[in-house]
Amino acid sequence: MSANEQFQSRWGLVLATLGMAVGTGNIWRFPRIVATNGGGSFLIAWVIFLLIWSVPLMIAEFAFGKRTRKGTVGAFIRIAGEGKGWMGGWVALCATAIMFYYSVVAGWCIRYCVAAILGELRGVDPEVFWESYAGTTQAFWTHAVALALAIGVVWFGVRGIERVAKVLIPTLVVLVVILAIRAVTLPGAAAGLEFLFKPDLQALGDFRVWLAALTQNAWDTGAGWGLILTYAIYMKAREDIPLNAVLIGFGNNAMSLLAGIMVLCTVFAINPGARDEIVGAGNEGLTFIWMPQLFAQMPGGRFFMLLFFLALSFAALTSLIAMVELAARNLMDAGLSRRRAVGIVATAGLIFGTPSALSLTFLNNQDWVWGVGLMLSGLFFALAARSFGVDRLRREVVNAEGADLQVGRWWSFLVAVVIPVEALVLMIWWLWGASVGKEASEWLNPFNPGSVGTVLAQWAVALVALLALNKWMSRKTMKGGESL
Amino acid sequence: MSPPAVVMMVLICGFIWGGFWAFLTRAIRREGDKQRVDQFSEG
Repeated sequence: MSANEQFQSRWGLVLATLGMAVGTGNIWRFPRIVATNGGGSFLIAWVIFLLIWSVPLMIAEFAFGKRTRKGTVGAFIRIAGEGKGWMGGWVALCATAIMFYYSVVAGWCIRYCVAAILGELRGVDPEVFWESYAGTTQAFWTHAVALALAIGVVWFGVRGIERVAKVLIPTLVVLVVILAIRAVTLPGAAAGLEFLFKPDLQALGDFRVWLAALTQNAWDTGAGWGLILTYAIYMKAREDIPLNAVLIGFGNNAMSLLAGIMVLCTVFAINPGARDEIVGAGNEGLTFIWMPQLFAQMPGGRFFMLLFFLALSFAALTSLIAMVELAARNLMDAGLSRRRAVGIVATAGLIFGTPSALSLTFLNNQDWVWGVGLMLSGLFFALAARSFGVDRLRREVVNAEGADLQVGRWWSFLVAVVIPVEALVLMIWWLWGASVGKEASEWLNPFNPGSVGTVLAQWAVALVALLALNKWMSRKTMKGGESL
Repeated sequence: MSPPAVVMMVLICGFIWGGFWAFLTRAIRREGDKQRVDQFSEG
């Protein structure tokens, strides 16, 4: 492996991977999900799933990347055999499809950051501001800017990623800590802490709370997305896996807790009467309509609003960088140079992200389709590890030279048995939930953007294409790029 | 804040932030050990 394509230090790897994990989901989704799922009781389930879903999958991803030194397609081929390249293709497709609309979301964050700097939100109804921006050509241009920033970093390879992570992630942590301290010191903030942490033991008997906790963990740690695998390609040969994985898992969830405290304390201190409306407003509603309103009523609100959107922009950009690298890495494995691969990803991102930039309905449809698809990605990791031999992977890669912790057989059991069961239960529950929900009569209509039908139709097209291209993909990947 | 909320806050925050801190200090210590070994073998 060339020195230029390797993380120079353990902290470069840890910060880049933490940057990938800490995204907008930690800041705008976690507080809402906790608030609507029993507060303290949800947190118990959330901690359990950190230990039995996220951390084992993160360890598996690190092991795949370190063992194979290939992107998702090549890694699945080397771990599970040539016939399983399509599974790695699925992982890449899900993460890349998410990248297309995630750069739109990152663009929103940057736009609001600029608006906070210029004072554009002062004296303006945030709802009117949002309506005049989202889904317009302005959103296309901010999507292009966000994508350009991420491309600019990935262009310079893993050294660029490492340098940016070393600046952005510590800054992000400081920003979130400042905002959380400000929130808990507001008069009335204790009601927010009460709401966040008060246990409702009856809620623990509701399976929906457990499934919401699993979903949140899967999304906000990035476990099973293939992004950790991608960064693991560039780790040193004698680098540790288990300690880095638990460190990143706990670090990510520590940031989620801080974000939950920050958002809920602000809501309860400034506008306790509207709390149900605020937490029920959806991700965009909470972040881009309610938070500016709340900051406007707070002493020094403009400054704290700037810090909030700056933190959100940093979180979004570091995750977007990882998604761009994943797509580019698979193309490099097929024999393309880094610059050519990054150029193709930039062009594809600009084109395929445009529908999401111009239509919130399209963006939400893609979020629904590929968000559920991530559960399938997690399942594929577990199945591929089973093909290789989970215990063999543990002995030969996870616990190999350089490991700072020794992982026991519990990990093999979790990956071989528990994770496949979790993934299947979660997917069946989601699909069932959609089939009996408000639009039950429409649940199989592939043209309804929120239906099960649209998920199954888009998955079917993707899976048929990946299976048809499996041999070609395998040949290109194994012949094209040299193993690092 | 009610006592159950306080207990839950201490338990959850203690576990997550305490766990993160414990793993971080362990990683820092191990990294220091590895660098000392590398310097020793180079010397």
